[in-house]
Amino acid sequence: MTAMLRALCLLSILVLVPLAPAPGQAATPEQGAAFVKDLADRALEALGKFKNLSKADRETRFREVMHTGFDIPTIGRFVVGPTWRKASEAERARYLELFERYIVQTYAARLAEYDDEKIAVAAARADDGDVVVASQILRKSGPPVKIDWRLREAKAGGLRVIDVVIEGISMAVSQRSEFASVIQQGGGEMAPLIKLLGEKTGG
Amino acid sequence: MTSIRAWRPWLLGLTLALGLAACATAPDPSDRAAMRQYEEANDPLEPMNRAIFAFNQVADRYVIKPVAEAYVELPQGLRDSIRNFLRNLKTPIILANDLLQGEGRRAGETLTRFLVNSTAGVLGLFDVAAANGVPYHDEDFGQTLAVWGVGEGPYLVLPILGPSNFRDTAGMAADWLADPVRDWAEDHDKSWANWTRTGLRAIDLRAELLETLDKLERTSLDYYAALRSMTRQRRDAEIRNGARDQPGAMPKIEIEDDDDPPPQRK
Repeated sequence: MTAMLRALCLLSILVLVPLAPAPGQAATPEQGAAFVKDLADRALEALGKFKNLSKADRETRFREVMHTGFDIPTIGRFVVGPTWRKASEAERARYLELFERYIVQTYAARLAEYDDEKIAVAAARADDGDVVVASQILRKSGPPVKIDWRLREAKAGGLRVIDVVIEGISMAVSQRSEFASVIQQGGGEMAPLIKLLGEKTGG
Repeated sequence: MTSIRAWRPWLLGLTLALGLAACATAPDPSDRAAMRQYEEANDPLEPMNRAIFAFNQVADRYVIKPVAEAYVELPQGLRDSIRNFLRNLKTPIILANDLLQGEGRRAGETLTRFLVNSTAGVLGLFDVAAANGVPYHDEDFGQTLAVWGVGEGPYLVLPILGPSNFRDTAGMAADWLADPVRDWAEDHDKSWANWTRTGLRAIDLRAELLETLDKLERTSLDYYAALRSMTRQRRDAEIRNGARDQPGAMPKIEIEDDDDPPPQRK
């Protein structure tokens, strides 16, 4: 009986995957779970399968995955905090451009530890308009790694990841705190952050 | 008693350092954004913390990290056994803190693990319990204090020991003083055993973090701030025992004043 239920569940997920929710329509936890499973599989594949490719090539593949799965402008907007308000139009555009490179670089580095591993989606729930998906990376040795994903409906429509929480550590919150420190040391302006991001991403 | 005396210069030094440290200048309270940032960082001692952090990084680069890198060249089986043995020795502390937190089930697991691993696991060298579905978990008095409702206090970077806070530093001292294994070794003129144990624990931990910290340092814009945020979040997760459904387990991502137009340039 349970086996049948599970099969039904799986079937319904498979059917739901291609149905990206229409803009404005709240996504269900099931859609969130399927989205994360698909995304994580693709990300881990990009990191693992192409191990023999150069770092730049792997980053290109990983960037493609991030583009379809993450709402990078929203994350960038969150991590820069209230300084956004002070920034000019040009600064905002330049910042988002550099942030995109930076986030691909950092996420690829942090998630590369888990290449060749399998992800198991454990549960998904609605949370204040978002969908939170709990998953585990099952490693060949050592205990599984808990990874939680926060998904939100993007402005342009479609579900997107806006935060990844690895063993209780939120990437968005850590980056926000780090950026805040850089901004504060730079006198509360956006410019020094942009300069440092440029140096870090080689652009 | 001897142990407290031995630590007195350290404690004195720490107190002095704390006293002398110029506190980070709090921002103008009318600047709401800067003020919130200051509060979020929870780091009024930032100048002192950054100085100790810089010292730690030098110690790490020239001593701790090279030792950890040599250590990982040892066979995996040997390193696993060292870790298992160290964990087994920590049983009294973990068990006491499980009980102090009212975690009956986890206390039972800790006791089961000790009994199984000390016998079938040959004095704790092999983690037979984990292989049979009773995995290791850590506890310390800092976490117990947190469960009792004690706030973390300001962020604190300890010399060599690294990121902590006032509550966890007190917890660490309490665990150290209460540890019967350490006490026994000292009473039997085996301080070398305590030093060896402390050293191995540090090397084991550093070895585990080799890749993670390298990556973090390489990719971060401000390594100090990144580590501060991450250790605090990680600590919160440990206090929740990894529970994911409690409030605060998943931070909200709220964006303020989303549609503000950029300011007009004068």
